[in-house]
Amino acid sequence: MTGMSLPFLNAASAAAQAPKARSVINIFLSGGLSQYDSFNMEVDKAVIAKSRIIKSNADGVRVSHYFPTLAQQMDKLLVINSMKSNQGAHPAGIYKMMTSYNPRSSITHPELGAWINKRMTTERDSLPNFVSIGKGSAGTAGFFPGQWAALPVKNTSAGIDFVKRNAAVDEGKFKKRLGILDSLNGDFDQDYGTKDTRAYVDTYKGSLKFMNSKDIDAFDLEKENEHIVSLYDRQEFSRSCMLAGRLVERGVRFVKVELGGWDYHDDLYGRLPSNASKLDKGLSSLLTHLSQKGLLDSTLVVVSTEFGRKPGVNPNKGRDHHPDGFTCLMAGAGVKAGQIYGSTTKDGQSAADNVLDVTDFNATIAWSLGIDPAYEEMSASGRPFKLANKGEAREALFA
Amino acid sequence: MIRVLNLMLCMAVSASAAFAQSLENTAHARQIDQLALEQLKQIGQNRRPGIDDYAFCRRVYLDAIGRIPTIDELDSFIADQQPEKRARLVDKLLNSKGYSSHWHNYWADLLRVKYVGDKLHHPGNYSEWIKESLRGNKPYDQMAHELINASGELYKPGNGATGFYAREPMPLDHLANSVKTFLGLSIECAQCHDHPFDDWTQKDFYKLAAFSSKTHLRVDPTPTVEKKTYARDRKILKNKDFDEWIVYRESIRVKHAAIYGNGTGFMRLPHDYQYDDGEPFEAMEADVLFGDMPKVNHKLTKAELDALKNHHFGPEINARQSLADWMTSPDNPMFTKSIVNRMWHQVMGAELAGPLGALTQEEMGDHPALTQKLIEIMKALDYDLKAFLSVLFNSRTYQSKALALNADAPKYILDGPIVRRLSAEAIVDSFLSLKTETPDRYVATEFKWDGFTNFYEKSQKMGVKDFVSYSINGPGRGAFQKREERAAKRRNGATGPEHLWRVSSYGHVDGNHEVAMLMGKSDRDLIDGANKEPDIPQILFLMNGDLEHEITTQPKAFIHRKLDSVSDPAKRMEIIWKAILSRLPKESEKPLFSNDQDDLIWALLNSNEFKFVR
Repeated sequence: MTGMSLPFLNAASAAAQAPKARSVINIFLSGGLSQYDSFNMEVDKAVIAKSRIIKSNADGVRVSHYFPTLAQQMDKLLVINSMKSNQGAHPAGIYKMMTSYNPRSSITHPELGAWINKRMTTERDSLPNFVSIGKGSAGTAGFFPGQWAALPVKNTSAGIDFVKRNAAVDEGKFKKRLGILDSLNGDFDQDYGTKDTRAYVDTYKGSLKFMNSKDIDAFDLEKENEHIVSLYDRQEFSRSCMLAGRLVERGVRFVKVELGGWDYHDDLYGRLPSNASKLDKGLSSLLTHLSQKGLLDSTLVVVSTEFGRKPGVNPNKGRDHHPDGFTCLMAGAGVKAGQIYGSTTKDGQSAADNVLDVTDFNATIAWSLGIDPAYEEMSASGRPFKLANKGEAREALFA
Repeated sequence: MIRVLNLMLCMAVSASAAFAQSLENTAHARQIDQLALEQLKQIGQNRRPGIDDYAFCRRVYLDAIGRIPTIDELDSFIADQQPEKRARLVDKLLNSKGYSSHWHNYWADLLRVKYVGDKLHHPGNYSEWIKESLRGNKPYDQMAHELINASGELYKPGNGATGFYAREPMPLDHLANSVKTFLGLSIECAQCHDHPFDDWTQKDFYKLAAFSSKTHLRVDPTPTVEKKTYARDRKILKNKDFDEWIVYRESIRVKHAAIYGNGTGFMRLPHDYQYDDGEPFEAMEADVLFGDMPKVNHKLTKAELDALKNHHFGPEINARQSLADWMTSPDNPMFTKSIVNRMWHQVMGAELAGPLGALTQEEMGDHPALTQKLIEIMKALDYDLKAFLSVLFNSRTYQSKALALNADAPKYILDGPIVRRLSAEAIVDSFLSLKTETPDRYVATEFKWDGFTNFYEKSQKMGVKDFVSYSINGPGRGAFQKREERAAKRRNGATGPEHLWRVSSYGHVDGNHEVAMLMGKSDRDLIDGANKEPDIPQILFLMNGDLEHEITTQPKAFIHRKLDSVSDPAKRMEIIWKAILSRLPKESEKPLFSNDQDDLIWALLNSNEFKFVR
């Protein structure tokens, strides 16, 4: 197991609890995961509708039959059934889950990953600390400088766009080009050099360093050990999970993996199974991967969604949005694995015990990394914002 | 014969009017130069050197129409021996197609033109309103007034100004945006509490909000229309088929989505109002933040309204128009100060009076007399933006060497432009100047239809039976919007190949302009949301993408053809330098001759000189 180094902490910040995790992998299920067809079986039978309840390898934890592989990994997972959001539409719901704030047109807030990136990046890091894998929008830095936004990886085979030299250009030719560029920029700098022109020169240097970094192969799945590769199937989501595991092994602090398509307002039982299978297999493989590499204790795996779906099935055989009592999962980093935290009412209408607001959820993730959730930054206009808005860490989620 | 004489007379009159205007503009430009000179004298600094024709050509193409000149355009300007050639170029550019393309990007960023799925907000009509306003050189105060006071259907062609309200239908946020956009003031904090730094109280905010209270976006038909027309079939479809029900709902929305309400002149304090000077739900009568109160024809007094239940805001009395009148009045000092601040910033690269969205009433910037002069000029020109830009471009102040702001640079006193990066769109459109000899060819000169405006027009003849039939016999939820977009495209006729479009030609349906996004194009979530910073993905694209490949090795590419016919290396270098940097190579650069053509092109495209204004 790799030694854990304390993240860089501002002397002024309080809650300096020893961190539980070094890194976070956030699997984000955009569209709204149907909790009563996945992980919340603790409701009336009618609510569960066409899902069938199956036992898992954790006592007292039952799941929907659409997740047979994960059923054998529930001893690693903590099921949180009492999630609550104040947003019921996708754009605002996703925004709230990602940033802990309601969308306002006066400001764009940074995503949690950007906060963590900014807070935890040190000189020694050769890889960016916020990476976003998948086709959804990569993580925004909001009012932070753009360097804290997520590095996007649109698909695992392509890796990072343009990180390799253009095919038509060999190393010698590339060096020549850089030489000409240096000469032109040096000349321009005489009369017209500013902070901004120098920032460009610096970022070119940084980009070259990145291209030549030995850690670039972190993005190359071809380089992964055969026995790890064999844990995963060939689905893009599974490969994205594998890449996430690789990146946290190299020390990346926050990796977001998006798996969308959960918005089943109609024909839920026709369309859910194939998507469920992707999550079922990919997440299981990831948990085994992290386990085998000894990374599970230092990695917080978070499976989240912007809201859930209604207890009642609608006339189109789907379920509509439902933000009061939905389900998220956590694993690793010393969470209370193999248990259920919080509940909904038996009729599935609302969160009941141990309600966990989206802002508290995000505060807990930050806290697990050793960051004070009340950590504050100012926007350009001097307005203060906190990492998780008014959210408070729910320490009870950890053993 | 009479007609010919009449025509000649008209031309003579308009020519003399134009001549008179241009004399006046020259006078304005000289006044700006005079003020700059006085300031320089005061601090004992020399005037900056002027720029040569090459630099001027590049600069004014970028600032007037948002791209570098093609090599042919540059050569033609250099070769021009006629008098007043710079003034003539300014005039030509401001009256060319490129003007509306370039300034559309600016206004669309400021007005946050964007698709917002939740409220079915298709930005096409909004975008077309901006383009039409620019093409017709609508005076700025009229543009602003239309945006603040827009009502009616969102997708009615010509009514695109309603997009401004639809873009932010939360009324208090919308108010804060409007004030920032047109008055340059940040009052958004006062929405929830007395402002920590400035003088605005929460009460002030609510009194201002009273002008436009009850204005709202409604995407569905009004309850009366719904009950009479659509309700019965909606219920049937809802129980029958999800897809059909969605198509029914969405298509009806295209017809009916509208901004309602013209303002009641009264607002109520929020339920959690915390200060001693008011009660929760207490009625607030409309009042302006400063200056003269415009006329508002109240039908109720505050006392009468306070006596009514909390959901009463009084009858509509067209108070929103009074707000628009106040905000856009020449007597409103912030209105003119804000626009001259913005225009100066666009053209010179630096703020004149203060931060674009955070001015104060007192602040006049580092050169108050200059700010005052520019305000006077804008008013004298009746808010004609082209004329104002013409004044700036024709000034000696503008036509001087750009200053690199640094700790050791001479003190900057707004005596000319500063070195700054091009906007994302200007960089991308400049690539176009290298790919084709006619970069503005496909910029539209008339209204372009999109799926929503086209369907809106069709829907005027559609009754409920037609909507039902459309929903049942249509291509289904996912495809109906696509189908309508295709119909609109056919109606627009030929629009040219996408790789030869300027960025402003990309509409919502054309997807994100990936390269422009990499360069920092605004995603229009925020006012002024673009950024000009470097980051790794952007630089990787510039270094390792196919940029110079596209520009040089594609046989059809303009520069490739130009270079093909030339064998002398010095001549080739001259072509490359003129095309990309809009100047001749310096003596000190001659050693670079020996490099391969594509290496030189790569380096120039990646250089700071290309990306920055000098």
